Amino acid sequence: MRPVVVAGAGMIPFERRDEDSLVGMMAVAGLNAMDDAGLGDRAVDAVYVGNMASGLFNHQVSVASALVDRLSLMPAAADRIENGPASGGSAIKNGFLAVASGYADIVLVVGGEKMREVIGPKATDIVAAMTHPSAEYIYGVTLPALAGLFTRLYMEKYGVTREHLTMVAIKNQENGLLNPYAHIRMKITMEGVLTHPQAHINSPIVADPLHLYDCCPVSDGAAAVLLTTEEIAKELNKPIVTIDGVGQATDTHTLQERSDPTDLKAVTVASERAFSMAGLKPKDVDVAELHDAFTILEIAESEHAGFFPKGEGAKALEAGETRIGGKLPINPSGGLKARGHPVGATGVAQAVELVWQLRGEAGDRQVKKATTGFSLNFGGFGNNVLAFVLRRKS
Amino acid sequence: MSNITAYKCKSCGLVMYPHHFRCLQCHKREFEEITPSEKGKLLTFTIVEQLPWGFDERGRVLGVVEFDNGVKALGVILAESPKIGMKLKAGWDSVRMIGDQKVYGLTFEPA
Ligand SMILES: [Zn+2]
Repeated sequence: MRPVVVAGAGMIPFERRDEDSLVGMMAVAGLNAMDDAGLGDRAVDAVYVGNMASGLFNHQVSVASALVDRLSLMPAAADRIENGPASGGSAIKNGFLAVASGYADIVLVVGGEKMREVIGPKATDIVAAMTHPSAEYIYGVTLPALAGLFTRLYMEKYGVTREHLTMVAIKNQENGLLNPYAHIRMKITMEGVLTHPQAHINSPIVADPLHLYDCCPVSDGAAAVLLTTEEIAKELNKPIVTIDGVGQATDTHTLQERSDPTDLKAVTVASERAFSMAGLKPKDVDVAELHDAFTILEIAESEHAGFFPKGEGAKALEAGETRIGGKLPINPSGGLKARGHPVGATGVAQAVELVWQLRGEAGDRQVKKATTGFSLNFGGFGNNVLAFVLRRKS
Repeated sequence: MSNITAYKCKSCGLVMYPHHFRCLQCHKREFEEITPSEKGKLLTFTIVEQLPWGFDERGRVLGVVEFDNGVKALGVILAESPKIGMKLKAGWDSVRMIGDQKVYGLTFEPA
């Protein structure tokens, strides 16, 4: 396999974007990545689009073909990759394999989702379509509901408290204030979310024990990376950030069939596979972007990915180790919690943030001297997970 | 009385629900169809305030129940104050409307 360089990274601010179409958003993110790489008029060999549900959200399919047309990239190969909320991660994996194998020299990976075209309960229903049709979906299960079932068990087993969950929300929303691309740009406090007499109005229950501020927003947005070989990256004269590890793993469709439902096996295995390919260990990581669709997930993933022992993630959080400036900054971008979670875009947006961090281009939220980054894109409720290790070469 | 079918692997004995074409544990393909026992205990639950499109309801309790014969399934919990470990009795009732069709599923009341 050839080394794969992320030569370009770009995105558009995540928010409610009524004026934009899905393909239009993805085109702008794609151009941003191509321009960042300084690609000029070089041909793109292949395009991979991460998108979960354009057919349901936007009544449009074949969006990869539509994207190459809008960007006049023909005759580039083009595929849409669907893997639920990990569609972006899967699209990057496909782009990685295309370059690593020699199938393509220049690949554009774009992730995008336009969710706000439908009303909130409809979006909840579309996202819930990834659950098991007869054993989950018919009961009104939502992704927050699955997260609620998981959170209650995790709190019982490991002594995680609502204060811990709120600490994740506070930290990530503080980081989001430093990220011009973030959807939620608002400081919150422990008092306002948890202890004030009005707290239950500020942060009502979504799926007990999870409240509003434990959940990511529903966003529109797109993000893109341009992948290429080391030789071409040198010609483009960009700082060299390589994808050194890619890992993916699956788990049972339903939570109840896991022998220990608090054990996110796919996170553990995907992370181990990514670290093993990179020849690195969790302790080598300087900055991590985790899939905090719900606050509990940042804590649980930080343990399952190997950064902290099981049950110690909340303690590390409490001690400030995961803040910018801490031992292992997690989600300096604001994570899904603050940056937003246009499902198909998320895995790509995580890679964009890592590239900016590893190049030293992350502005006010820059993690000092970051040379190794890790990202985790969590599909379904942990039934299809991707992990990546990115490195800055000196 | 519930109406779901669970599957017991004829080779290793693992009880599975929902259906798999191969055993989760030993990958063999022969199963005995079993029905859950009448009672079980609550393993975890959540109170869902924001249900998807198509529900005219708030505060639905959803939970995972382990039946006495080992089947585990999710269903609607009809208990005022649900608690992990509480004993429940299974029922079968309309759990949602899809279009103008009633869809039936598992419901659980305190035993
Ligand atoms: Zn078996």
